[in-house]
Amino acid sequence: MHGFALVLTPYNLWMAVVGCFFGTIVGILPGLGPSATIAMLLPFTFGMSATPAMIMLCALYYGAKYGGSTTSILINVPGENASVVTTFDGYQMALQGRAGSALGISAIGSFFGGILGTFGLIFIAVPLAEFSLKFGPAEYFSLIIMGMLTIVFVGGQSIIKSLMSAVLGLSVGVVGTDVVQGAPRFVYGIPELMDGVSFVVMVMGVFGIGEVLVSAEKRVRMGSIKVPFSKLMPSLSDLVQSKWAMLRGSVIGFIIGVLPGAGSTIASFISYGVEKSCSKHPELFGKGAIEGVAGPETANNASCSGEMVPLLSLGIPGSGSTAVMLGALMLYGLRPGPMLFTTNPDFVWTLIASLFVGNIILLIMNLPMVPLFAYTLRLSYSILYPAILLVCIIGVYSVNNSVFDVWTMLIFGVAGYFMKKYDIPGAPMVIGLVLGPILEQSLYRALSLGHGDITVFVTRPISAVLLGIAAVMTVAVLFKQVKMMRKEIREESP
Amino acid sequence: MKKADRIFALIGLGLSCWLILESRKFDYMTTYTPGPGFHPLWLGICLALLSLALLVDTFRRKGGTVDEGNRLPGEKSLFRVGLILLFTAGFALSMTTLGFVPTVLVFVFLILYVLEHYPLFKSILYSCIMSGTIFLIFRYWLNVDLPKGWLGL
Repeated sequence: MHGFALVLTPYNLWMAVVGCFFGTIVGILPGLGPSATIAMLLPFTFGMSATPAMIMLCALYYGAKYGGSTTSILINVPGENASVVTTFDGYQMALQGRAGSALGISAIGSFFGGILGTFGLIFIAVPLAEFSLKFGPAEYFSLIIMGMLTIVFVGGQSIIKSLMSAVLGLSVGVVGTDVVQGAPRFVYGIPELMDGVSFVVMVMGVFGIGEVLVSAEKRVRMGSIKVPFSKLMPSLSDLVQSKWAMLRGSVIGFIIGVLPGAGSTIASFISYGVEKSCSKHPELFGKGAIEGVAGPETANNASCSGEMVPLLSLGIPGSGSTAVMLGALMLYGLRPGPMLFTTNPDFVWTLIASLFVGNIILLIMNLPMVPLFAYTLRLSYSILYPAILLVCIIGVYSVNNSVFDVWTMLIFGVAGYFMKKYDIPGAPMVIGLVLGPILEQSLYRALSLGHGDITVFVTRPISAVLLGIAAVMTVAVLFKQVKMMRKEIREESP
Repeated sequence: MKKADRIFALIGLGLSCWLILESRKFDYMTTYTPGPGFHPLWLGICLALLSLALLVDTFRRKGGTVDEGNRLPGEKSLFRVGLILLFTAGFALSMTTLGFVPTVLVFVFLILYVLEHYPLFKSILYSCIMSGTIFLIFRYWLNVDLPKGWLGL
């Protein structure tokens, strides 16, 4: 309740509204994902304290998820990856003159998923944080190894390329003064590198500049809105028809969100599949079934709350967006993890309360204002991207008043452009950079406490279990890969 | 994607060699704990193994995927991306000498007029609006210390 009292102060509430507003707009605009949005608007929070800043960033994240469905429904172009599945039935509904119902049910489903997911967050994050108080450096080391492997294995993209991306991120993390002897590593006499490469620089480069370059390489013309907004509230029968889809979507979304790496895109696709198989009329899916919009949109938002569980209670981000949030928390001098609940309870509970408030704001904002938001699609991308580039440059410059950081960001931007073009995921790299120094420190401290005995990682039960899970996952993935290779060889041979 | 993957694997191999060689300049172990060279050395080894695996995979795979041609940026796309990067680099180079406001003005004008072929008047108008808005937001709302050049702007 104290959290609610704090989030309802005028300034915090204003930050939530600002975050929801900009998040929705950026979610609507195709080309910029939630990670890039959070990264881009991070500089706007530099002058704030941690609580309003994180309230704004979380609101941005939720807003982007709400907004993502608008273009999926209206012009058949998903605003972000998790909304791809919404195009299947949402656009069909719009063509049938039911755009209002689709947008309305999407907003209500998102609200439902967000609220239920936040309840799930409360029920799981607190016991998990209490349990992880037992973690020492060995457990943290094993947890980070397991978390990073899960992100790579479950991420759905090439495992080798994802692992390479993670190792590259970890490698960038070794630049700077090392934790053991205080020796400068990979600095080459450049004073700006003594503190290492800032995660803001990498995030802005890979997610901000990289995405802008991909989107701006061709002249983008937004599709015009052809569907009428006859009414924006779904009918009672629409709501009744969608109630189980929303409930199932909430559960699926939350559980998948908790798993590092799975993310909202997988959640929305699984939810769609479940709804289709549960439906008495699966033949209507793809032709404008309202459950095909309600389920995935609910799952999409519930997964956001799920992603906050490992972030807040273990300090392990499960996606690119939460990695940016983890980095932001560190910038404000906070260390997410079990101690956060005991050392900064006001912050944690205000943040959790802000998720409830943010969802309410988004519902209020989205139901009557969807046509207004949809008009932002008329803004040309050629006007938008110079502004985005400027925000990235000034944002990075303002961290240390350093032009060197701007150059480094541009290098990461070029890398991000090619990574995006060739399906090399950027999130493992950012997560690697953020978690790399913690991983190295945990390894150093664990071995130091164990007098150099490497078996400390397998003799401590929690650490052994975590490493065991990582080993089982690795063996399972290797087994699957070998099986696939054998199948390919068999098919090739006459 | 075979060609792109092969290039990525070779870049990875190069970086791994550099990591391994550089890590040898630092202590591998102290009495009980890993030294500063431990982490980079093992990261280099991991990167080398992964790069080799990707490289081998590109030779093992049959033909290129259908969408490979679409993914490779064409000359026009590369030209646009190159120009955007050139303007951005120019912005980074000159913002401390020319000052923030004039540099933003020129940067936005160049993108709109040269790259996006906006009419001259519209380009100037939008550049003025954008530079003014961004200056006001960052300087007065967020209190960011923006670079001042010869003109003090």
